[in-house]
Amino acid sequence: MELALIGLQNAGKTSFVNVVSGGEFVEDMIPTVGFNMRKVTKNKVSIKMWDMGGQERFRNMWERYCRGVTAVVYVLDAADKENFPLAKTELHALMQKPAVAGVPLLVLGNKSDLKDAADARTVIDAMELRRLSGREVCCYCISCKSQHNVDVCLEWLSKHAK
Amino acid sequence: MVENSIILGSESVKKRDEDSDDVYYSPFWGIEKGAVLQEARCFNDSQLDARRCQQVITKLLYLCNQGDTFTKTEATEVFFSVTKLFQSKDSNLRRMVYLIIKEVCPSSDEVIIVTSSLMKDMNSKVDLYRSNAIRVLCSITDAGLLGQIERYLKQAVVDKNSVVSSAALVSGLHLLKINADIVRRWSNEIQEAINSSHPMVQFHALSLLHQIRQSDRLAVSKLVTQLTKSNIRSPLAQCSIIRYVSQVISQTVPSDNAPRPFFDFLEGCLRNKSEMVIFEAARAIINLKEVTSRELQPAVSVLQLFLSSSKPVLRFGAVRAINQIALKNPLSVTNCNLDMENLISDQNRSIATLAITTLLKTGNESSIERLMKQISVFVSDIQDEFKIVVVQAIQTLCLKFPHKHRTLVNFLSNILREEGGFAFKKAIVDSIFCIIKNIPDAKDPGLTHLSEFIEDCEFTYLSSQILHLLGSEGPQTTDPSKYIRYIYNRVVLENAAIRASAISALSKFGAECPLLRSRVLTLLYRCLHDSDDEVRDRATLYVQNLEKLSLHEVDNSNSHKVTDFALQDLESSLYSYISGCTVSPYSISNVRSASQKSKTEHGISKILSKAGHDSSFSEDVSSSFEQSNLLSNPLFSVYGSVFKVCSSNSRISPLNYFMFQSSKPISLTEAETEYKVNLSNIKFISTHVLSQVTCIVHLFQSHVVFEFKCTNTIEEQVLEDISVSMEMIEGVDFLAENSTISLDRMPLGDEGSTFVIFDRKEGVFEQAKFSCILRFTSKEIDPATGEPEEEGYDDEYTLEDVDLKLTDYLRPTNISNFKKAWDSLSEECECSSDYDIGKREGLQQAVEMVINIIGCQPCEGTEAVPPNSRSHSTLLSGVCIGESQVLIRTNFGLDELNNVTMKITARSERLDISELVHAIISNS
Repeated sequence: MELALIGLQNAGKTSFVNVVSGGEFVEDMIPTVGFNMRKVTKNKVSIKMWDMGGQERFRNMWERYCRGVTAVVYVLDAADKENFPLAKTELHALMQKPAVAGVPLLVLGNKSDLKDAADARTVIDAMELRRLSGREVCCYCISCKSQHNVDVCLEWLSKHAK
Repeated sequence: MVENSIILGSESVKKRDEDSDDVYYSPFWGIEKGAVLQEARCFNDSQLDARRCQQVITKLLYLCNQGDTFTKTEATEVFFSVTKLFQSKDSNLRRMVYLIIKEVCPSSDEVIIVTSSLMKDMNSKVDLYRSNAIRVLCSITDAGLLGQIERYLKQAVVDKNSVVSSAALVSGLHLLKINADIVRRWSNEIQEAINSSHPMVQFHALSLLHQIRQSDRLAVSKLVTQLTKSNIRSPLAQCSIIRYVSQVISQTVPSDNAPRPFFDFLEGCLRNKSEMVIFEAARAIINLKEVTSRELQPAVSVLQLFLSSSKPVLRFGAVRAINQIALKNPLSVTNCNLDMENLISDQNRSIATLAITTLLKTGNESSIERLMKQISVFVSDIQDEFKIVVVQAIQTLCLKFPHKHRTLVNFLSNILREEGGFAFKKAIVDSIFCIIKNIPDAKDPGLTHLSEFIEDCEFTYLSSQILHLLGSEGPQTTDPSKYIRYIYNRVVLENAAIRASAISALSKFGAECPLLRSRVLTLLYRCLHDSDDEVRDRATLYVQNLEKLSLHEVDNSNSHKVTDFALQDLESSLYSYISGCTVSPYSISNVRSASQKSKTEHGISKILSKAGHDSSFSEDVSSSFEQSNLLSNPLFSVYGSVFKVCSSNSRISPLNYFMFQSSKPISLTEAETEYKVNLSNIKFISTHVLSQVTCIVHLFQSHVVFEFKCTNTIEEQVLEDISVSMEMIEGVDFLAENSTISLDRMPLGDEGSTFVIFDRKEGVFEQAKFSCILRFTSKEIDPATGEPEEEGYDDEYTLEDVDLKLTDYLRPTNISNFKKAWDSLSEECECSSDYDIGKREGLQQAVEMVINIIGCQPCEGTEAVPPNSRSHSTLLSGVCIGESQVLIRTNFGLDELNNVTMKITARSERLDISELVHAIISNS
């Protein structure tokens, strides 16, 4: 299956890819300039991941890599509440695009190990996920650092693998 | 048997050809942009077909290289779908991806999306990915991103894989333009790469290192010194070093005695085992500035070896280099003549042509016939552009050996009759024109050849040009009548444009050869009914003119042939006879005949034009001569007869009519007053500034004539009986006033001349300053009647002082061989001295200044100082009054503080003339 990982910069997209593909969590990452393409096989399911750069200059290109994917994974820094409104706007803008119509969306509130990280309910409200109709939407709070809830995500993802 | 097998062989070849005709299709046949863009959608498939994708990319690249362009949207679409191909692990496909990214390369804000993928490839384990990723990354990166990848690039420079290392080095060359500072930081790594064992890496590292230091002359020089001692094995890198070395050599100022820097190195390279390096070194030596024949020797010998090489490229390179040497040092390559003669029959026509043209340059007079024979064999099977080169070489040769003009012009006219395009034919015709112009002996045969050529010439332009030349040159030949047939044949047979030219040419014969006039007229009468307007018009006009001319002749044939006399002379001599004593009967023998007069004029203008060869000075002189009224004004005849009177008194020998030179006009009234004259004449009547006066000094063998050209600028005034009285205020007594020719009436708005004539002591070169007073009778015009009043009053006006300068005694002349002329003059009449010119911007400025002061002709191009020179010699040549030659060597030197010193050595036939040169310098 094919996934597109989207989200503001420093949300933890590349870290999630690393963790999913069985790698170690690394504390200081360099920002992704452009995209990373990664293929892993998990539970006999081959996953193709387009890990997009989160900086502003790449955001208008997200759509191009969401075309035809099995699911869009939107990663959010749950501890960075200041940027929730921006994250919400970007998410909703992307979901408006015809290319991603009907594509299931998985929203991940990352960095749940941090003290002031928001919980799933808060994220759902802040992202106004209920407004996104016409597709399956799911939200988990995870931590790439402590691997918390990562397995649940994979479970959800493999459910959607065709 | 043999025959059979050949037939069999050719059959099978034929068969294969036919077969391949049937099955062979270009893989790129019928590729169409729209369709390919459709196909490119396969890049987005979730299951990639790597092979198919490769094919599509190939087609896209083909389109780009065929000049097809993608719109911005198309390029963006292709680019983004190509980026999806990074998911494939197929290395061949990845290679195509790298290529297509570089090719479509959309706007910089989009292309950045592949950065991360490329950076990953750059650190991959596959060398192919690494090198290519480096190249692509560097071509799309901007200054900001460069900081992030610099670390990897620096590492790649010293990578043990040569492909990766080269990729990084070449990228460095490109990056220098974006951010030179970053690349400069790699110098340790680059230095290490230079010592790499791989020739390609060595070459790239060397290029980059040189590029980094390029702007710093000293650093380049240091680098080169270091490199010439190092152990570089790559032939390409060695070639580069040779180029850098020659660059350094050209920038160093040569010192007189020290050997040329790095010459040993270049000479050493001539013994290199790589032919490329040998050739590069030879070329570097050839291109050295002011290369001596001793320095050329080793280079010429290796080139000579190349001449008989089996590789065409070496033969070509060698003969081309030798051709280049032959331009400047033909003697140095005469040893190769034999080898080059073998090359004339070379299969490669470029080599053969170069060999021929070189031989034409180096050949001596005796070998010309043989060469011509060889050329005529081969000239028919070379292309026109090569033929043109040959023709030009022959032209140069002919000018060099004028005695051989018969052979060479014959050859030219032979190839002129052969097949050939317009450019080729034009080159030949131009060459013959040039030869006719420069070698008088070649004129008759040349014109004959040309007139034969127009019998069968398909180019109207050339025919007209030749007809024009026949018209202007033909009448002066010994037998003009023979050309008339050729010309008239054109009138009968050709198109209108040529007919018109032919008629013009005919009429020139009619005008200039009285004996042929009636015959030409007969021919022209036949043209009066030509079908073309222009031809008819010309014929009518010329018939009219020629008829008038012949009528004139008939009228005057019984009288004294008035036209044979210089009318102006006749008029003035009659005039002076009437006004003077009429005791003795009038004799017409005192009047010069027209031909005599025109001969004198001819002589003068000839001498002036002789001096005028390529010389700006002399142009000035001739123009001032033309501006002078000495010839054009009716006064000239008065002037002439005055001289006659003098000569009859045998105070001036007839020889002294010969004029030496005229100075440039000097204005003697201030330019400002002229304006004022226009503004308010009343004011100037009271101050007597009534006219505008310029002075020209004419220097004769034993006379000096001051010509004052005057113009009346006031309408209400008539100025009569104008003369100038001159008094020497500075200078020794070497001039004696001979006479004054006054101007009867100063013309209004036009120039009239009055002259003051001095006898000059021959052989005395002095300068002098004269005060000048303009004397005249002024009459006012009665506004009522418009007539001048009866009574005028004498008046005078002080003009600016006039100088007779030392430079007036010298005239520039051009000589072809300075050294020969110099050696022919005795050392006893040599005079030399040192001067300090003081601070100047450069030697060129000093040289120009000295040339201007002395006013002699710089010879052999020595007036141009090579850039950055610290010393220079300029050769000057001139003629002193009395037609004695003066040659001057000037040596200039420039010290650290830009102070110029100069040594001047002058030689001439007489010591006092050599001293004159120094007097000119010290006086200025």
